[in-house]
Amino acid sequence: MKKRMSLLLAIMLLAITVLAACGGGGTAEQPPSQGDQTEQTPPAEGEDTTEPPAENGNDSQGYFKAEDPSANPANALARKDTLVVGMTAPKGVFNPFYWQTAYDRYVVDAIFDSFFSLNGDGTYNNRLAESVEVSEDKLKYTFKLKPGVKYSNGEPVTVKDYAFAMKVYHDSSYDGQSDLLSVNIKGGKEYNEGKADEISGIKVIDDNTIEIEVTEANAMTKDNLGTVFFVPESVYGKGYKQGNLEYMKDLHAKPVGSGQYVLKSFSPGQEVVLEANPDYFLGAPKIKNVIYKTTTDETKLAMFQSGEIDMDMVTVNEDNVEALKEMGFLDINIFPTNGYGYVAMNHKDPKFQDPKVRQALIYGLNRAEVVEIIYGKYANVINIPQSSVSWAYTEEGIEPHEFDIEKAKQLLDEAGWAPGADGIREKDGKKFEVHFSATADNPVIDALIPVMTQNYQELGIKLTAETLDFNAIMDKKDKGDFEMFFAAWGLTPDPDSTVYITNGPQNDIGYSNPDYDAAMKKGLNAFDLEERKAAYAEAYQVLNKDVPDLPIYQRRDAWAINSRLTGVDITPYKNFAIDLYKAEIQQ
Amino acid sequence: MKQYIIRRLLQIIPTLIGISIIIFAISSLVPGDYITAVDNPTMTAEKAAQLREIYGLDKPPVERYLTWVGNMLKGNLGDSLVHKQPVTTVMNNYVWNSFFIAIFSLILSWVIAAFAGVFSAKFQYSLFDKIITLLVFLCMSLPSFFIGLLLIKFFALDLGWFPVGGMKTSGMNGSTWDQLIDIAWHMFLPVTVLTMLSTGSLTRYFRTSMLEVIRQDYIRTARAKGLKERTVIFKHALRNAMLPAITLMGFELPSLFGGAIIMEKIFIWPGVGQVYLESINMRDYPFMLGFTVFISVLTLLGNLLSDVLYGTADPRIRLK
Repeated sequence: MKKRMSLLLAIMLLAITVLAACGGGGTAEQPPSQGDQTEQTPPAEGEDTTEPPAENGNDSQGYFKAEDPSANPANALARKDTLVVGMTAPKGVFNPFYWQTAYDRYVVDAIFDSFFSLNGDGTYNNRLAESVEVSEDKLKYTFKLKPGVKYSNGEPVTVKDYAFAMKVYHDSSYDGQSDLLSVNIKGGKEYNEGKADEISGIKVIDDNTIEIEVTEANAMTKDNLGTVFFVPESVYGKGYKQGNLEYMKDLHAKPVGSGQYVLKSFSPGQEVVLEANPDYFLGAPKIKNVIYKTTTDETKLAMFQSGEIDMDMVTVNEDNVEALKEMGFLDINIFPTNGYGYVAMNHKDPKFQDPKVRQALIYGLNRAEVVEIIYGKYANVINIPQSSVSWAYTEEGIEPHEFDIEKAKQLLDEAGWAPGADGIREKDGKKFEVHFSATADNPVIDALIPVMTQNYQELGIKLTAETLDFNAIMDKKDKGDFEMFFAAWGLTPDPDSTVYITNGPQNDIGYSNPDYDAAMKKGLNAFDLEERKAAYAEAYQVLNKDVPDLPIYQRRDAWAINSRLTGVDITPYKNFAIDLYKAEIQQ
Repeated sequence: MKQYIIRRLLQIIPTLIGISIIIFAISSLVPGDYITAVDNPTMTAEKAAQLREIYGLDKPPVERYLTWVGNMLKGNLGDSLVHKQPVTTVMNNYVWNSFFIAIFSLILSWVIAAFAGVFSAKFQYSLFDKIITLLVFLCMSLPSFFIGLLLIKFFALDLGWFPVGGMKTSGMNGSTWDQLIDIAWHMFLPVTVLTMLSTGSLTRYFRTSMLEVIRQDYIRTARAKGLKERTVIFKHALRNAMLPAITLMGFELPSLFGGAIIMEKIFIWPGVGQVYLESINMRDYPFMLGFTVFISVLTLLGNLLSDVLYGTADPRIRLK
């Protein structure tokens, strides 16, 4: 009896495990943030509040200054030389090779530097690099390092450290997320396969000059090469043997870099304490102590109010923004999220192969209503898979596909889908029924499904939704075993993407169009920005006409920042940690 | 007795093997793996295949199970994929934080429940009994996140007596003593909520078993002897009423280390519950499996412990 009892308990535990697994909803919007996938935005309803429009006349985004800085809580004012940034708990992988979540990245960005640093608009400028020369054929890159830079342990920064970092990225046992093999450095593949013990394309000319040769170049090669973090080889290379990076995990919690801050302490799940690097080569950071404190969505606002945190990222909806504005002492920086939500269709399914059907599906869906229900004014309907603030964004030649049920019906008629006896359209004896795989507990789904069901019913399409765990949908997606699902993509600063390219690794929907492939290839291989812009505009026009999936919305992200802080630079591309040394606390 | 314990310990082994097979089977039946859960939009197919190979996710389940069990026998639970650290290190980082609030709320709720249960049994159907019953049912039925947020609103925001969340004040550099006080101050609200939740059922339990005992003949005999009422209740009745509770005590063992997911999220307590939940969502199998096995072992040991304690406390069922 007792034995059965304990087994029963174990099984119950497991059942809970599986049940819990089914509860995890989410999308993959921020590319580096693996621990934080849920879109927790509750549907924001209610009337518009009276908010002063930001400078560009659009009151759903912009920088809103605090209205009443004197309301600042005493707790916050008492911290004269300490900044407390709230965020989801970093995992403690403070290693430039291995970080995975956006929050670990914030720590890495504060502690390490690379040749380039990110600008607010997604382009790069020199940080550790003094100059970069690119050969005529774009295959040779010569980086010159600024002289006299030191690591926090006192050792000088040299390009040998860069060469070492490249070896780590090319090592066969490297299991981080960065993929420098795809940059095609000469000899990189041989090193990875263990056929060579040096990467032949990397030549250290002197302590401050390094030349890198690639076999194949594209528009991103220079940036990819320039964003490799510098780590002291004496620390990170101690004990390195080709094919064995096991020792690295002992270094995750003990980062040594040349950057703005040094790690003072880390309490898992609680806080990361950083201290200014007084010898930072761009000048000592103005704020001496920075603490990354763990917060959760439930209590963020309360912690602002009690003065326990100075800045944090907040979910944008009307309730939250209103509550933050009411506090009075917070600046709010609202900007478009670097990603978009879409409804995927399986192109292997015959009914979705006709572009007319896909066009009918987008004309026949009231996307504006869906977006309004979920995010109120803090999101907009999108028509191309690109952020409105990207340099590649275009509206030229883009059809907005506004809700037009008559047009949708007409398109379906043209495609040969005629209404059957029960009102459901049929073609060749097959009814138009769509099976939608929906994520559980997702506010987007809660708003999308009812609208979609109703709209499509009017079109004569029967929509049935099945609720599944996020990972289960991703699994179906990989196997191609789906008809429709909703998900979100994160965008990178560069518009190059493999989501719609024929047989692209992220092309799960099976879409293929040679015109699009050609335009994307042109964009990736052009080195002039205007040329690239034109190529991507062409690519987006093809997508817009083809409707490979139904683009739904781009929402907003926001950071609330205590008004006693100045110089905090945050954009959709650039996180606060990159130029943290410029931030200041007003006394 | 010793022989009995050894026999029971040996019986744990086949049970554990069964458990490990079941949890591994379930984990490999669940769709998706760590790579799909990360869903990195820029990851190439080659990179994904390479990572799966390094993590061993490309191998057949039976082979993976044998590797996992083999390593576990050597005391190696593997590396957490999310934390990039050995599973034991990650557990050690978070389990103790969960343990602290759990042990305090355990002690508090048992003490409160014992007293409340005894008195409401003693004065059955009195006003006191009714109020206690109302209170415990209220605490039991309110959802924990609701009480948690309510307490934060009153005690942290309006009154400012306690912090909103976390385990210590950021940027505080005091002596060890100051830091302990700081932690205790941060612990107050989460412990209060956990205690409120668990006291309810325990109180009812004590009340029922006390009611049963109090009607026994030997209690009447004790009273007839002219013993003081306090002695009758606390010495003669309570002792016997406590017996079934000992079984409960053993079952508390895994919950001491298991973490409280909702509570940890609301009070931003750095406990293991959230980490476990995340490992499930992220398909971080090494951690998920490792921690499940850990909790199963504790459950089995707790089971054994309660049997042994029961035997020690109650001569009637003492083993020969």
